[in-house]
Amino acid sequence: MQTVTIKNLTKKFGSAVAIDNLSLNIEKGKITGLIGADGAGKTTLLRTIIGLLLPNEGEISVLGFNPETQKDELNLHIGYMPQKFGLYEDLTVIENLDLYADLKQVPHDFEKMLEFTTLSPFKDRLAGALSGGMKQKLGLACTLLGNPEFLLLDEPSVGVDPISRRDLMKMVREMINPDTTVLWSTAYLDEAHSFDTAVVIDKGKVIYEGKPHDLAPTPQEFENKVIDLMGGYKKEESLIAKNYEYNHSYCGENDYYTVEADNLEKRYGNFYAVKNNTFKIKKGEIFGLLGPNGAGKSTSFKMMCGLAKPTSGTARIMGTDIIKHPAKARSHLGYMAQKFSLYGSLTVRQNLNFFALVYGISLLKRKKKVDEIIEVFGLKEYEKIPAEELPLGLKQRLSMAAALIHNPPVLFLDEPTSGVDILTRRDFWNHITSLAQKGVTILVTTHFMDEAEFCDRISLFYKGQTVAIGTPQELKQKANANDMETTFINLIKESEVNQ
Amino acid sequence: MKILLALIKKEIKQILRDPSSIIIAFVLPFISIMIYMYGINLDSVKITMGVKNDDNSPEVATLVKSFGHSKYINSINFDNMEDIKTAVLRSKIKGAVVIPNDFSTKLSRGEKSDLLVITDGSETNTANYVQSYAITIANQWLATSKYAGKIKRPLITAESRTWYNPDLNSHYFIVPGSIAITMTLIGILLTSLVVAREWERGTMEAILSTSVKPMHIVLGKYIPYFVLGMMSMAFNVFLCVGVFKIPFRGNYFLLFFVSGLFLFTSLGIGLTVSSKLKNQFLSSMVAMSLGFMPALMLSGLMYPINSMPEFFQHLTRIIPPRYYVSFIESEFMAGTIPEIVFANAIFLTILGCLLFIAVYMNTSTRLDGKR
Repeated sequence: MQTVTIKNLTKKFGSAVAIDNLSLNIEKGKITGLIGADGAGKTTLLRTIIGLLLPNEGEISVLGFNPETQKDELNLHIGYMPQKFGLYEDLTVIENLDLYADLKQVPHDFEKMLEFTTLSPFKDRLAGALSGGMKQKLGLACTLLGNPEFLLLDEPSVGVDPISRRDLMKMVREMINPDTTVLWSTAYLDEAHSFDTAVVIDKGKVIYEGKPHDLAPTPQEFENKVIDLMGGYKKEESLIAKNYEYNHSYCGENDYYTVEADNLEKRYGNFYAVKNNTFKIKKGEIFGLLGPNGAGKSTSFKMMCGLAKPTSGTARIMGTDIIKHPAKARSHLGYMAQKFSLYGSLTVRQNLNFFALVYGISLLKRKKKVDEIIEVFGLKEYEKIPAEELPLGLKQRLSMAAALIHNPPVLFLDEPTSGVDILTRRDFWNHITSLAQKGVTILVTTHFMDEAEFCDRISLFYKGQTVAIGTPQELKQKANANDMETTFINLIKESEVNQ
Repeated sequence: MKILLALIKKEIKQILRDPSSIIIAFVLPFISIMIYMYGINLDSVKITMGVKNDDNSPEVATLVKSFGHSKYINSINFDNMEDIKTAVLRSKIKGAVVIPNDFSTKLSRGEKSDLLVITDGSETNTANYVQSYAITIANQWLATSKYAGKIKRPLITAESRTWYNPDLNSHYFIVPGSIAITMTLIGILLTSLVVAREWERGTMEAILSTSVKPMHIVLGKYIPYFVLGMMSMAFNVFLCVGVFKIPFRGNYFLLFFVSGLFLFTSLGIGLTVSSKLKNQFLSSMVAMSLGFMPALMLSGLMYPINSMPEFFQHLTRIIPPRYYVSFIESEFMAGTIPEIVFANAIFLTILGCLLFIAVYMNTSTRLDGKR
């Protein structure tokens, strides 16, 4: 039995081909993972399957309906969670559930759902005030209302910590019945490896369709195989690092601490968002800040670069106190924010020109510098496109380009790889590690546990405090675990017990 | 029906939690009525003007005194033209009257005598006042002076009586007219944001994959904002009639009925723009310039439609505030006039329905704008 049959589907936006003569069957009662690079056409495919977009050519049949003409009938049988989850942030948890239950014309029977998602205590909290992981759970809960026969999830686990991701997966598996079909688009290949079927698409075409275990027995090998399918990742010398010139006037000795956090603390009333945060990072070190959503990572980050004022304590960048001399301290810093913070209506080149200007690169050197950075970041073919139209992965790449344009000796990256495909991530980390070798100090947060392995040292952050600090190896030993994900979960649970 | 109710309930909660919509609906009308009440005044005001008397006769001195005693002007006496020039230039006086040295001589001979009135053409409105005040004062003086016997009695005298607004108090029509402006603002400003917001936040994509139909979306936006707008309307009327004591001679039921029709058109403009543009910033800007500016300029509230160039006179026909301003002014000042109520109500209904159709057509059920 097939839930979806697609024959020779083509979808164009203007002259750009998003889906290229694609044929695909999705089996009933199975969980199918949809994998692909950014801009490969995953979201377009999901939207076309449920009739939110109309195909240019080809035939689609979903649960026996034609989404082109029978969208209304089809809607009764599906649950779709878009990338932004579709929550009303100014409504409470329960009001969102009430609304979606009414819109789907299903009974208001949320007890089991609330308990399962552990959202019960937050029933009356505004959706906008929930942490990232909670929002995702609520979005999923709204999508699951009425037990749809066909569930479509567009990257539901982007930007979510490993614990919430496990919960999300558990939630889907337990809330559906054996006949439910799930189409789950994801950037996490370990996630995709646990599904019944994997569909890899590239440039609007299916390049692999089959059981993940047939491709590779372990998630790690599966990841490598998928990368091969996508054209393979060749580790090349990082042009970004090659072109980077460390300005030795910054500091003298090698063991100099370039970034220091000294008892950083942020308090809102009685609530400590960050408490006693102290660490020192050496020149050329990659320091990872890990922790569940809402642990205070971003707050720490913002205090470290002077965007938020600590209630007590301070931070030093290249020995300069961020509170006493914010401008000077910041000039040593490249910062990449979690949210896309470039100008959406400016093109790629215009954005880079602008950042070159504000970082004080002289007009004469600017063109050369911008040309160079466009070249090394592989943005050449997109340079005339407005930033807001880029797929997520390219936006991240552009943000990093903007953060690096003035050759800073210290780089702060707040979830730089959220929502970025595997190839881009590998490429990204190649640049990061190469830059570190050139002496750049890097402070990074991530939810990808495989990335945590690349860090020289990790600080595990939970409820505003550091619960463990050390090399990945040390942390694994401490947690009695073989991989980072288990380490993460064990250490967080342990600290929960201690508290 | 249940879907529609759910959408309306959701919208009301959003309105209540967002202070800006409450501000737009209740604080804005208050500020706007205050401005129209105290800030704008089209009535005659006391004007400062200069008087230069070149005639030494004692009789003429009383004319100079009359200028000084008038309740409409403050007069300042001048001795030479240079000083008058400087005073006008510095805006110390808005104009001047110069009495020539042969003024009384000519009058006593029964001849026509000249009086020079200087006005400032850069402020034409004030210039008109200066002119008419000067002539009125001079004529009144003449009638009581010893030359009174020399004037020929005019055969016709005009007795003027101003109906509907005997005191010629401009607040009586501007303040009700301002209701039209606030109603336009509320209808357009509030709604221009709400559809675009759903697109920007991605909630539209989510609800389009449920059982929601375009009509639900359209009515789910119209109804809550209609209710909010009518509450704001009631508040407006309370301010006008209850607080500022603007006389109301019409029928409250008709006032609210036609206001409802007008609000229906305003909501239509805001929602059309919002559904079409799907971007909050852009649509609020477009809605403001498309809705608010014409309401102010072309509705006939500030500038009479008859005196506009022909092209603009025709253009006003498709501007809802034109019909509403005409209705509300007559309803307040002259009471219910069936022809006016009927004609304006019909046009508002037609425009409102056309806009409703436009909103409905622009409400897509797919992301690429198709149905």
